Amino acid sequence: MLPSKSWTGYAAAIVGVAVVSVAIGAILPLARIANVSMLYLLVVLAVATRFGSGPAVLASLLGFLAFDWFFVEPLHTFTVSDPEEWLSLLLLLVASVVTGQLAAAQRRRADEAHRRELEALQLYSVGRYLATAPTLDAALQCTVDYLCSALRLEGCAVLLADADGRLVPRARAGSAAATGGETARWLLAADSGTQATAQPRRWVRVLPPRPPHGPAAPSPRHRFDLPLHAGTAPIGVLRVLAAADQPVLSREAVRLLEAAADQVALVVERARLQEEANAAEVLRRTDELRAALLSSVSHDLRTPLASIKAAAGSLRQRDVAWSEAEREGFAAAIEAEADRLNRLVGNLLDLSRIEAGALRPEQEWYPLSALVEDVLGRLRPLAADHPIAVDVPDALPPVLLDYVEIDQVLTNLIENALKYTPPGTPIRVAARARGDVLEVEVADEGPGIPAAALPHLFDKFYRVAGGAGQPRGTGLGLAVARGLVEAHGGQITVDSVPGHGTRFRFTLPLSAPPEPPPAPVPTSGERID
Amino acid sequence: MAGHGARVLVVDDEPEILRAVRTNLVAHGYEVLTATSGSEAQAAYAARRPDLVLLDLGLPDLDGLALIERVRAHAATPIVVLSARGGERDKVRALDLGADDYLTKPFGMDELLARVRVALRHAAHPASGAAAIFRCGGLAVDLERRQVTVDDREVKLTPTEYALLRAFVAHPDKVLTRRMLLQEVWGPEYGAEAHYLHVYVASLRRKLEADPQRPRYLLTEPGVGYRFQTEAEQPPQP
Repeated sequence: MLPSKSWTGYAAAIVGVAVVSVAIGAILPLARIANVSMLYLLVVLAVATRFGSGPAVLASLLGFLAFDWFFVEPLHTFTVSDPEEWLSLLLLLVASVVTGQLAAAQRRRADEAHRRELEALQLYSVGRYLATAPTLDAALQCTVDYLCSALRLEGCAVLLADADGRLVPRARAGSAAATGGETARWLLAADSGTQATAQPRRWVRVLPPRPPHGPAAPSPRHRFDLPLHAGTAPIGVLRVLAAADQPVLSREAVRLLEAAADQVALVVERARLQEEANAAEVLRRTDELRAALLSSVSHDLRTPLASIKAAAGSLRQRDVAWSEAEREGFAAAIEAEADRLNRLVGNLLDLSRIEAGALRPEQEWYPLSALVEDVLGRLRPLAADHPIAVDVPDALPPVLLDYVEIDQVLTNLIENALKYTPPGTPIRVAARARGDVLEVEVADEGPGIPAAALPHLFDKFYRVAGGAGQPRGTGLGLAVARGLVEAHGGQITVDSVPGHGTRFRFTLPLSAPPEPPPAPVPTSGERID
Repeated sequence: MAGHGARVLVVDDEPEILRAVRTNLVAHGYEVLTATSGSEAQAAYAARRPDLVLLDLGLPDLDGLALIERVRAHAATPIVVLSARGGERDKVRALDLGADDYLTKPFGMDELLARVRVALRHAAHPASGAAAIFRCGGLAVDLERRQVTVDDREVKLTPTEYALLRAFVAHPDKVLTRRMLLQEVWGPEYGAEAHYLHVYVASLRRKLEADPQRPRYLLTEPGVGYRFQTEAEQPPQP
């Protein structure tokens, strides 16, 4: 075991023999006890049990010699006059050595059992952390934290190979993680690790890099890379930075680390398989979605197409003499239905771009009041039957947005309010700065939306079941609005009180706009007033 | 109404669109050439020198933007770009490369004819700084005296607002991208960020427009820029 401990054992052997010698010296004048030398066996037994066989042998020898020196005639010599005494002394030596060895072996077995138990417990802890953590990263973090404290390591980390085979730190612990700097660099460096993943399981000892010209040379550390394998494929390393005062890890520590590495590899592999399964699930859902889209949208696509085809076919009838007004009516129907189709296709395209994550808002600083004015100006023909109150102060800070996309959001919300409220219902468009967001509100005083429908309102293809006379939407407008607002880093919400109206709100993040450009310099040749 | 025999090259790979556009243009007295690909368009352009090009940006063989560059290398022939909604970035690039106007597909025939008319008119009478006073509806901009009146009532503009208005009236009816306006008003080093351009447009509207919510002069071209409109807007619905 440790050198300090064995020295204590030898010292204990010496002290124990001395104490027993004094005790025998004290007892002997009082009572002549046969084989009093057996008392030395107690010392041997105690030392063997406590400190192992080395100190026990020393205690045996010392006991033999001390008894000979102090109590066997002639006193204070190592010579023995009586051959019977000689035999007795020899028996003492043999008995004490044998006792010592037996006791020490017993001790070793107990130690071993204890260590095994500890190892099993540690390994069990690692397994439990890995199995119960909610995410892979949490599992890895718990494991390295535990290994670090259980093995008294300077640092411990798990690095996993990414798609390109580069090692990426996924979890780290220990003083290295806390102090950062050079120590953290050793712990997380990806350089030699790349080779480590490619090698069969073995320890890679990495000497600390020589500091270039730094004033304080870092105290040397020993870093060990333990490759993680899934099957035969390397997937990463479990890395250990040994403490400066304990540069060599015990065999038990190595065993634990190797077992932990196996378990970590298993868990990582399991997480990867789970991820693949999830991806397959997403794919399957996407297919389902596509089917839903087809069935839902085909109706909305066919309706305007049917109107267009009917009107065009009517115009081409040779045997009917249409009046000018009738011809105009057909033509107007074709145009209106084509516009409707165009809006539908526009929303569908937006939705697919949102879902594909292909939305790249082209953001610029824009005053919201100007955008609201543009949108309301454009919707005016549709809004003839509804009084619209606007409360968008000009003093609002400009906001970073993609004009076309936020125009679409506002248009969809206002169109909804126009479409689903009876003529004459007031509509209110308002905006205000609230903390670090700009909040835009589109509210109507219409019939409201049933509470049961609210949670699904922004789902695509969701339509609130209405009466027979109620207009049918496509179930796309609000889904698109949500996608666009979220692409801007905002949120969209709705609250509605049946009978009193519905209020949609969305937020856009506010941040400090850049400085305005300086006033223009008047070109030469012009008078400045 | 009549196109006075102006020669229009229509470039689109969709035969139905070509047919509809050609029929309408011919009915309005234009001479029409058609091309269904970039190479055809180049050949037709070189051989017949049209007075105007209607160009679809999504061509099978050649980027429409490249075609604009090639035409612009030789001539100032007006180019009106046709592009789908969502192609705002392409429109802006086309305009910055020198296209004169754009139409978003699907477009109405009235709109198409109006844009063609405007583009040809400006090609025939390029806006020049010659006129000392620019008049349009009730708006008058005295470029000599830097004085702006609406219905004979003087309007006070800040220097930035005035510079912006001057940029607009120098290109009546032309779509101006944000980059163009920033460079014209603030100088060539600006253009990447729109900054407060919109704020100045909004305040110009408040000072010049009878109804800022429904501007008559300063129209927003969504996602592209602005246009100073000289012809009063037709009623939105017949």
